[in-house]
Formats: sequence, C-alpha cells, structure tokens
Amino acid sequence: MSTPVIQVRDLRKAYGDLQAVAGVTFEVADGEVFGMLGPNGAGKTTTVEILEGLRIRDSGEVGVLGMDPATSGRDFKRLVGVQLQQVALYPRLRVHEVISLFGSFYERQAETEELIALMGLEDRRNARIAELSGGQAQRLSVALAVVNMPRLVFLDEPSTGMDPQARRNLWDIIEGFKARGMTVVLTTHYMEEAERLCDRVAVMDHGRVIALDSPSALVRENFAEDAIEFVSNDGLSEHDLGKLAAVTSASSQGSAHSIFSSDIPRTMGSLLDLAQARGAPLEGMRVRHATLEDVFLKLTGRTLRD
Amino acid sequence: MNAFLPLFRTNYRDFVRDRTALFWTIAFPVLFIGIFGIVLGRGDEGASYEVGLVVEDQSPQAAALSQVLSGFEAIALTRGERETEIAMLADGERRAVVVVPQGFGSSISRDAPLPLQVHFDPSQQTTQQVVIPVLLRAFEVADRALTQTRPVVTAEFETLQSERLQVIDFIMPGLIAMSVMNGGVFGAIAMVSLRERRVLRRLSATPLPAWALVGADVTFRMVVVLVQTVLLVILAVLIGGVSVKVENLPALAGVAVLGGLAFVAIGFFLGAFAKTEQGFFPIAQVVTFPMLFLSGIFFPLDSMPDWIRPVVSAMPLTYLGDAMRQLMVGGAPVHSMALNLGVLTAFLVVFFGLAVRLFKYE
Repeated sequence: MSTPVIQVRDLRKAYGDLQAVAGVTFEVADGEVFGMLGPNGAGKTTTVEILEGLRIRDSGEVGVLGMDPATSGRDFKRLVGVQLQQVALYPRLRVHEVISLFGSFYERQAETEELIALMGLEDRRNARIAELSGGQAQRLSVALAVVNMPRLVFLDEPSTGMDPQARRNLWDIIEGFKARGMTVVLTTHYMEEAERLCDRVAVMDHGRVIALDSPSALVRENFAEDAIEFVSNDGLSEHDLGKLAAVTSASSQGSAHSIFSSDIPRTMGSLLDLAQARGAPLEGMRVRHATLEDVFLKLTGRTLRD
Repeated sequence: MNAFLPLFRTNYRDFVRDRTALFWTIAFPVLFIGIFGIVLGRGDEGASYEVGLVVEDQSPQAAALSQVLSGFEAIALTRGERETEIAMLADGERRAVVVVPQGFGSSISRDAPLPLQVHFDPSQQTTQQVVIPVLLRAFEVADRALTQTRPVVTAEFETLQSERLQVIDFIMPGLIAMSVMNGGVFGAIAMVSLRERRVLRRLSATPLPAWALVGADVTFRMVVVLVQTVLLVILAVLIGGVSVKVENLPALAGVAVLGGLAFVAIGFFLGAFAKTEQGFFPIAQVVTFPMLFLSGIFFPLDSMPDWIRPVVSAMPLTYLGDAMRQLMVGGAPVHSMALNLGVLTAFLVVFFGLAVRLFKYE
C-alpha cells in the first residue's frame, strides 16, 4: 500500500465539557472510499472538519495529503474538495452561476457544463437555488465539492434529504469519483450507503472509533449467525425469545422482533413451539444475513437513527 | 483564478434579484426625496405670488400706488372687490390681499396718511418670508414716488453662502447623507445572511482569501452608494429645484464613498452581534434611527438644546451630513471640512478594525 492519503493518530477535540472527539486513530489509503458511520453527535462531522482544516484540534496528529490542515491554509484548500452539511447557498443565484463562482476560486477547475451534466442537473441549470428541491440542492453541493477536480473529497452526509431514487443516483456518481482515482471520505448514518459505497468503514460512537474494517468483515467479525425477523403483537418478550434454542441475542422494538441464531432450523423449531403454546401470531417472518445496522446495534446498544 | 470579479458579479446579481433590497436602497430614498421635493420645493423659479389688490379710493395717489405694485415681478396682482379677494385668500387662492382704503389720496394731502390694510395668513411660511418683504419693499418704492423724496440710505446685500438657501436646500443633502448611511449599515446584511446560511463557512473551505470576499462586497456597496447619490442629486435638482454647486460634485461623490465606507464598517461591526438576518435589523435600527433626528438632517443643530450636543458630536452622520451640505449647496459649515473628513476616516478605521477582530465565519 502506498503512503496513506490521511493519517490520524489519537485525535481529540472538546467543546467545553463535551468531548466531541475522544482519541481517534485511523488511516485512509489512496483511492479508497472511506466511510464514517454513526448516529448524530458521534463525532463524525467534527473529525471530518478537522481533516478539512475548518476546525483546530485540541491534540493528536493529523496528516492529510502530507500536510497539516490546521497550518497549511490555502495551499491545502486548493487540493481538497469539501461538502458541508446545511449550507444554503445564495438563494437568488442560478445553479450554473454558483458553479462558476466556486470554480473561480481555483486554478484547476472543471467545466461548469460538464459538472452540471455529471450531477444530472441539466434541466435545473438556470433554476435559482431557492427553487431547488432538497435532493437537487444536495447534488449541487456535491458538484461544488469536486469543482477543483480534487484528489481527495470530503462528503458530509451527502444523501440527506434525498429520496431513494436520488440517493441511488448519488451513489453512482460517488462510484464514478472512485473510478477516476479520487479518494473519498464519506460520513453517513445510512447503513445501506456505507455497505454499498465504502471500502472500509469506521463505526463511531461518543467520539471514538469502535470498529474499523470493510463492511463485510465488520459483519463477519460480529455475527457468525443470521437473523430471524417477525412481527407479533402478542405476548412474546425479548426475554422469552432469548431463551430459545441456538439464540445468541434477541431484540424487540414494540411488536417487531429480531433474533440472531447460530442454527436457524433449531431456533425456528423452538420459536414455532413457543408461539403455538402461547397462541401468539407470527407475521412477516423472514431470515436474513446480519447488516452493519446490526453491528452498530450490537456494539452500541443503539440504532443509527437514534 | 481571480475571484474578485465573479464575487462582485455575484453581489450584483444577488442585489438586483432581491426586491426588498432594491426597494430600501433605491425606491425608498427616491420616494423620500420626491416627496420632500414636492412639498418643500421651490417650484418654478420665475413663478410669482398671487396678491389681491382692492382699491376703494379713486384718487391719483391710489392709481400711482397700483402702478408701482403691478411693476413688481415677484407678485402677480389681481384687482377685485374686497369680499371676493378676502374669500380668495381664505381659499388659498391669494397669498395676501392689499386694501387701499377710501380716502387714501385725500389723507395724504392732509398729511395724515391712512394705512394700507394687508391681509395674509401668518401660518403660511412663504408668505411671511417672501411675500411680505416684497410688499414692504413695494410700499417703500411707492412711498418715495408719492412723496417725491430721494432715498439717502441704500444698501446692497451680499450673502456669504449661495444666494437664497431655503429649507429644501438644507434638507436634500441631509437626505442623501441618510441614504448613504442606510446603504452602508444595512448593506452589511448581505454578509450576515451569508454567515447565517453557512455560505461563509463553505467559502472558508476554499482557497478564496478573505480580502477578496470582503473587498468585492465593499466595492459593490460603494457602487450602490454612488448610484444612489447620483440619482438623488439629480432628483433634488429636478423635483426640489435645489441649486447644486456643479463644480463640487466630484468631491461630493468622494465624500459619499468615504461616508459609505465608514457606515459599511459600522454595519460589519454590528453584524458581528447578529446571528441572523432577522436579528440584524433591530440592532441596525437602534443605531441608525437616533442619528436621523439628532445629526442635523431634518433639524438644524443650533435648534437643539445644549445638553444633547455631546451625543450629536458622537454621531458620524453629523459629519457626513455637514460635509455633503457644504459641498452640494454651499451650506454654512458646522465643522470644518477637514474635521468632517477626519472624523469619518476615524470611524472607518476604528470600526473596520473592530469588525475584523470580531469577525466569525459562523
């Protein structure tokens, strides 16, 4: 592996009493799509903004493209692309005007019309920013992150506010970035997005990286078992389900239950017996592989959307 | 690569597409000047004031008096009956009515002259200030004609300032100074809005230097201030009939820009205390509103009580208004031009320095 594009060692940042980032260490390789997965307040955005040079760390070592973002200023900012959350651009400007404005900040700039086409904004080229839907505004904001054709681009929750179709389009675009050799650092709380796009994922919670690996490895490391999911609105408790044969863990949210089992046929048999004995209905039952969402729940005891 | 022009163009587009900003910076001052111009304006320079003349005496002296009066261009004389002329005065159709009473001629011969009766409405300022003096002068001339005396004491009056400064000449430069203040202070709202919308933060992630961002913004504000000033001076002349000192117009533009810079700096400083565009308005109002009334824009400074003078002296609009009045119409100086320019420069330097210190990207 060549020199990492990003090296972070024991990074810390506090806001008053709140330790937002509490000792984070990781590396991002050249050409990698690196995901940071975690709920709101996990420290993803703070970490990324330190890497972008927008925030100053309290302590720790940070190297991005061989520079320290905190001290390299404009030389550094020329080389990276950044997308931030919740930026409401000039509401009265048109899409193509904003793209050329941002292009004018860099020596190296992509063709405005090419970017518009790449982001699928052709029919909104002359629309004012205030008229864009949430998904379109989000796509424009991703376009601005690559207006300088950077080697390294940071995308902070890029698919927020998008409908499922728009989200899939965005995933294609991000895969296009990777195909061009860009390194992408992506924060998200959509587990599907991380699974689909990321070569490796850092799972963050309370300012720490609690797991770091490829999505499939994360699942494999944490779950040798598959899950049984079903809905039952009557009398089956987490406690009962946890005592079924071959069950490793069980969780219930209201009437929705999921049980992880190392031996699906045995667990299934005992579940059916229990349901019959209790007279409890079982609806929408299915067996599936574990996901990153399950990994997160297991590692933190919380779901990503909490 | 050079981002200055694209940023300037962005400011321009953002401004001309913002109807509210257009209204407050262009339409509102234009309306203001227009209304003041119509209400207080000189009107047509050659126009004369309607005066009614009621002659109830048939003597040659009365005839001679009428002739002298009709020779004055400043008054348009209409002869009529006493009742109709007084009614016209009550209706505002006459500025004054002069009655030559019966027996006027014979009273002169008897060396016990009857006084003329002059009816007028004392609440009418122009009558008091213009018509009555003209009438008095006319009576004087008529007096000499009738008594065949030669005047011994005569005088020529030479005014130090431009010929006849009227209320409108006083107010117009002040109104222009007011628009410069508003254009500057409220112009800073664009920056507050960019910060509120997190655009400043996004820009801070690009290699764009801060000076280019601020420079393009300030340059654009100054262009707006200049356009405003030129437009308002033209309106002051056309509608208000203000006689502008044309040779001073370049200096006036320079002072408008200096004042504009000082007020933009104050606006940036105030902007540091507002999180949102909505929050900026009351702060800016609190600062600009007292200046409207205490900086000699509408009321001359010497009509104010002494205890308020220190407040007046602390207000930058006082100096901008005074400088603009001196340059535009040759108004009597309150302060020397050097003091006016010095104070405005000091405000610019101090508040720009503070604004830079307090500036935050988010």
